[in-house]
Amino acid sequence: MMSIPRISYKYISILIISLSAMVYAPAVHAQPNTTSVDTTSDVKVKKIDTSGRQLCVGIDLFHPVINHFVGSRSGQEVAVDYYTKNEFYLVMEGGAGSSHVDYSNLQYTTTNSFFRFGFNKSLLTRSGPKDWDIMFFGLRGAGSIINRSAASYTIIDSVWGNYPGTLAQGKPFAAIWAELVAGMRVELAKRFFVGWTVRGKFMMNGKSFSNLSPLYIEGYGEGDKNAVFDFNVYATYSFRWQRKVIGKVADKANTK
Amino acid sequence: MIKKVKFLPVLLLTGYSLVWCSCTQQRATCLTPTIASLSIEFMHLPIDTSTVFVDTALPAAVLIPVTRRAAVDSFPQQSVLTISLSSDTTFCQWLFKPDTTTKTFDTISFYYQRNLQFLSNACGFAYFYTLDSVHTTHFSYQNYNVVYSIDSAHITNASVTNDVNTTYQLQVYIHPDY
Repeated sequence: MMSIPRISYKYISILIISLSAMVYAPAVHAQPNTTSVDTTSDVKVKKIDTSGRQLCVGIDLFHPVINHFVGSRSGQEVAVDYYTKNEFYLVMEGGAGSSHVDYSNLQYTTTNSFFRFGFNKSLLTRSGPKDWDIMFFGLRGAGSIINRSAASYTIIDSVWGNYPGTLAQGKPFAAIWAELVAGMRVELAKRFFVGWTVRGKFMMNGKSFSNLSPLYIEGYGEGDKNAVFDFNVYATYSFRWQRKVIGKVADKANTK
Repeated sequence: MIKKVKFLPVLLLTGYSLVWCSCTQQRATCLTPTIASLSIEFMHLPIDTSTVFVDTALPAAVLIPVTRRAAVDSFPQQSVLTISLSSDTTFCQWLFKPDTTTKTFDTISFYYQRNLQFLSNACGFAYFYTLDSVHTTHFSYQNYNVVYSIDSAHITNASVTNDVNTTYQLQVYIHPDY
């Protein structure tokens, strides 16, 4: 039986430190050039975003491949992000999946659907309005509703003999977690992107389902761990608009 | 724009590495004891007039669970022995003699409550117990035909779990004449 690798806190620390470095890197400057300050005008020149709008719809390719090899679980995930301004993207992700535990001492099945909401902030400077490649970090809040089938277990005891038992089907329960994400996305063909995202995930209510933690929660990972590491590879298609209107505004701003 | 020629191999290599890593992992190993253990400390008075109990290093204690499996556990010389309780009832008995040469078995009877506990997906479930009472056969001068070794037993910690740091749950006082 195979599973997603167990990632220690060391890797989560590396992720957090890397993200911190990326966040603070743009804030590091050389000494300010005081000679360029214009003291004659108090009017701030509003920066015009000439890049228009973009809505991206993507599917995760990584987990279906992994699930194919693992065999005991399945799941699909889609991601939608919308460019707002200042290199911020609103992100919604969702999906559903199932896993089946068939160990010698434990058997049960779980199904779940999940939803994530958050943002990505691109760290790259655009080379032009048509440049939509991004390297980003972001945050997510996520939730999932999990259903568990009746479970069968066997307590292995060499002295008194093995003792089998069952747990009745559980009521649907919720899992809530937060994610730190980082990744990149490259436009390989016109409007077609491929990119990856690494995720550090932190379960917020793990104790609430400790009577039988799901082995695998699609969208989160191993349900009996409070912190996990995950990875996605997305194939994404983008829809774009408003470029001409914004372009005219930009032209007007330049002529003034 | 990102230089695609530069980043695409990195993208593919990262993806391939993670797929490979994921697929070489096996089921997580259970590193937690799955059977709750009950530790018994054996003590005795060095002499009849003594007031201080000392640990009893039993020379070769024998403990036999009263079960259809009839497994025999013989322990080397030590004063703390570890046994388990039956998962399918709230009562179980162990036969005990402090040495293999001792002719008569004592009986230790445990009455307890069971609490089903989920350990992890790798380890499954286990029962933890709360001891209600412990009864033993007793040494008696009135009946010299049957000579028991145990004088009395005292529960020091009623909680029986898989916590390996728990010292002992039961003190058993052995008669000095054993």
